[in-house]
Amino acid sequence: MDKKTVSTIAYLSRLSLNEENEDKITEDLKNIIKFVDQLDGADTNNIEPLANPLEKTAKTRTDNVTAKNRKEVFLERSPKSNEDYFLVPRVVE
Amino acid sequence: MSIQYKSIKELKNMLNDKDISHTELVQETFLNIKNNSALNAFITLNEEESLKKAVNLDNTPSSGSLAGIPIAQKDLFCTKDLKTTCGSNMLSNFIPPYSATVIENLENAGCISVGKTNMDEFAMGSSNETSFYGNVGNPWGENLVPGGSSGGSAAAVAAGIVPAASGTDTGGSIRQPASLCGISGLKPTYGRISRWGMIAFASSLDQAGPMARTAEDCALLLNEMCSHDEKDTTSIDEVIPDFTENLNSSIQGLKIGLVKEFDLSKLDNDVVQVFEESKKHYESLGAEFIEISLPNISLSVPTYYVVAPAECSSNLSRFDGVKFGKRCDNPKDLEELYIKTRSEGFGDEVKRRILIGSYVLSAGFYDAYYKKAQQVRRLIKNDFDSAFKSVDIIMSPTTRGAAFDAGSKGDDPIQMYLEDLFTIPANLAGLPAMSIPNGMIDNKPIGLQLIGNFLDESRLLQAAHNFQISTDWHLKTPSGNKS
Amino acid sequence: MSWETVIGLEIHVQLSTDSKLFSGGSTSFGAEPNTHVDLIDLGLPGVLPVANRGAFHKAIRFGLATNAEINQTSTFDRKNYFYPDLPKGYQITQMALPIVGKGSIKIEVEGQEKIINITRAHLEEDAGKSIHDLFDGETGVDLNRAGTPLLEIVSEPEISNAKEAVAYFKAIRQIVTFLDICDGNMAQGSMRCDVNVSVKKSDAGELGTRAEIKNINSFKFIEKAINFEIDRQIRILEAGDSVIQETRLYDSVKNETRSMRSKEEANDYRYFPCPDLLPVVISDEELIEIKNNLPELPDEKEKRYVKEFDLDSSEAKIIASSKTMANMFEGACAKTDDSKLVANWLVGDISALLNKENIDIDESNLTSENFAALIERISDKTISGKIAKSVLEEIWETGSDVDDIIESKGLVQIQDESLLETIAQKVIDNNPSQVDAFKGGKDKLFGFFVGQVMKETQGKANPQSVNEILKRLLS
Repeated sequence: MDKKTVSTIAYLSRLSLNEENEDKITEDLKNIIKFVDQLDGADTNNIEPLANPLEKTAKTRTDNVTAKNRKEVFLERSPKSNEDYFLVPRVVE
Repeated sequence: MSIQYKSIKELKNMLNDKDISHTELVQETFLNIKNNSALNAFITLNEEESLKKAVNLDNTPSSGSLAGIPIAQKDLFCTKDLKTTCGSNMLSNFIPPYSATVIENLENAGCISVGKTNMDEFAMGSSNETSFYGNVGNPWGENLVPGGSSGGSAAAVAAGIVPAASGTDTGGSIRQPASLCGISGLKPTYGRISRWGMIAFASSLDQAGPMARTAEDCALLLNEMCSHDEKDTTSIDEVIPDFTENLNSSIQGLKIGLVKEFDLSKLDNDVVQVFEESKKHYESLGAEFIEISLPNISLSVPTYYVVAPAECSSNLSRFDGVKFGKRCDNPKDLEELYIKTRSEGFGDEVKRRILIGSYVLSAGFYDAYYKKAQQVRRLIKNDFDSAFKSVDIIMSPTTRGAAFDAGSKGDDPIQMYLEDLFTIPANLAGLPAMSIPNGMIDNKPIGLQLIGNFLDESRLLQAAHNFQISTDWHLKTPSGNKS
Repeated sequence: MSWETVIGLEIHVQLSTDSKLFSGGSTSFGAEPNTHVDLIDLGLPGVLPVANRGAFHKAIRFGLATNAEINQTSTFDRKNYFYPDLPKGYQITQMALPIVGKGSIKIEVEGQEKIINITRAHLEEDAGKSIHDLFDGETGVDLNRAGTPLLEIVSEPEISNAKEAVAYFKAIRQIVTFLDICDGNMAQGSMRCDVNVSVKKSDAGELGTRAEIKNINSFKFIEKAINFEIDRQIRILEAGDSVIQETRLYDSVKNETRSMRSKEEANDYRYFPCPDLLPVVISDEELIEIKNNLPELPDEKEKRYVKEFDLDSSEAKIIASSKTMANMFEGACAKTDDSKLVANWLVGDISALLNKENIDIDESNLTSENFAALIERISDKTISGKIAKSVLEEIWETGSDVDDIIESKGLVQIQDESLLETIAQKVIDNNPSQVDAFKGGKDKLFGFFVGQVMKETQGKANPQSVNEILKRLLS
């Protein structure tokens, strides 16, 4: 967990660390990872990972349209929009 | 007649006996809220709507099981047209266009949502010190933390401002504050209560639950909160019992497990003493204690601190300043929009957990951390499954000690994480668990944790209720014993 | 010292379900922006996905038609990245256990058949649309498309050149349209493809570094993009440099591919199982029902047309190769008996019109009703075949009713034998020198007389009657 790793992870998460908190957070992350490294000791040979505590399968929906048009409701809650679209700074592909 | 510290049951009687009208009840509640504003338990109040509902109930009585009962709702539940912040700057302006199923369930039973309670930001914390809206106080002592993340809900109930509040529990966020505030709180089996409208922290661990003055009230609330919801495919589709039905049945012969690996000798003497007293009391009620082994339990906290951050790092990606919530000022390009919005919108603890989460999921580390943690999680669940073959419930202290001072956990996040040592295992295994007050240490309350088998909330509530009708810890209030 | 190309295609097929993969939002195309967005599609805090069983059924049809393994238990994963039209900041997809496993499909290139193996086909949700050029300095985000079910079909890297790639893409398109799981409308983006291209020396054991060209949605561009990319990579390698593994975009205006993403580390998607979605299980009964109700595929149709409608196999093959044409054929044959005439017109005049305008038959004004009506009027001799061509053109332009066209333009075929005889006689009387020449042995002049009668009748005379009458009168 060095500064470069932290900076890569921060970019992946779209978070910036400034000079003030960069060192502290790097130290915190180092310690937390060291803490969770305890898991290494467990014998997990042939153990199936548990993604959700419910041992059951999914209920699904039938294919039909149930949603109404809520454009106004959604756009009025957005930080920036015009009558039709959510707006963000111009994306260059 | 004062309403402070009254339970739901007591308030219902008062309303039925016409000792107080619905309107008076709501008015007095808001008076109490304002008189206790120093606790900072609430972020948003819902006064106008609440009074309207109360007036309506006075005119047209309702037979709903919670008709007219004022309840505080944790600010993690979406409430239609009422600001919902999750204790974060990111959602400081968010007005949901819909309500969580659990809110609808409670309101359909007639309750009045008086306001949204303060909480650790995005449910990450054990002391309510990470909220953007300031710390929450503990009515038991100035400068004490109420616990977290449901700190506001716990403080409001503990101060007697409301008889009950909704909370959520991902690693102990109902039970731990219940313990530190001297109230009763229950986290049901994963899937009992719909997560639709509950802002997600860690999807496979989050559960909503009641926080109240008694186990009996918790049962009443649980009856209304639980439902099978088609909109949440992780919600259980099993018969929901009447959780109040068997509360009074005797617990003669109840087998209670004590976890060998919890090694209570490591705790402070007074904590151990309180626990031993409760054990003796349960024996006097006819229960039998059996030592059980949960061999992998010591890995619960590290497992949790891989799984929960991983899920949250993904769940919180939707907060990007594009469609809702805050956006930074004048971003010059998309990158700045994301980075500045998220860096300004989230507090340090949230950032820490997002970073850990991204790390343990990243290429090269996934197998060693995330996959490994999920495997250990299964081991922990298997341990519980085995244990429940020989015991009915499992008992432990809820917390390592009573409420601590704000700021005393220092800068080390791991110290804070270890607060959830006893509570985390039940979340990992998806099992129901509750905390009830069982003692005082230095004039501060502390709680007893009961963990039940899958879908066995009734047994937990029965054990808790039996304890409460023969003890008075739950009747203690910061201003003396309840009359 | 020759170069070999290795190509793999990832085709994204928009499934033609009514609603989205995880919500009840509508998937229909062309709606006003942000009007088909459900709470779930928007990714509002607190919402949860619920899987659409219909999407699974459509995916399974594909698996069955390509002889693929069907994973009756499949799971969902999250693919995490940031983009404005990805509302949750992750896409729900199937990485670990997709609904469809290994299968294969037959392609034909210049008469040669080849089997291309398919690695897998999985379900995932589509993103919304980012509109870059409508707003000054800003990009608009429309989430109508967000959540639409996609079937991502991944081929083995067994395609060797651009023509094979196009043939493979066409074969997939044919299958998904025939299975009724996708409308195949490339212009609307119902099918998009990413192409992975690498080159290596023929004697090299290892594959070369590949570049991925993203989001191509036309046959023509697939071919051009691949050929450009092959040249580009060969030039790089011949110069002694290495090909960079990266994502590229095809620019159809400049006919070149160019590098797309600048930060490679941005591509760590941190896949993990989606904790909101439990495994989806398809029962044996469901599988059998889907199998039994599988729509007819081109090969089966071709055989049936030959048998039931007495078409010759080349016509049958052409009609059966396009779902929309097959539908038109079957629809028309349900309304009129002369199936061979239906087939002739489809393969002949109608195909010509379609090619000229480069449209599909269901984008035209032709319907099985008006087409059948046209055929009926030819069969019952109301109009001649020649007149029918102009009626067809009118239908093509306006979509008007066949009988209305015939009436308004006065195109009813003149069948009245006595009237025709009068006109024929008139023509003969007016052209004595041609009559002499014809009778003198210039047989070709027969056409002249026919032409003159046609001219007199504005083309409406029944050709067979005209022939018979003139033969008689000129003998």
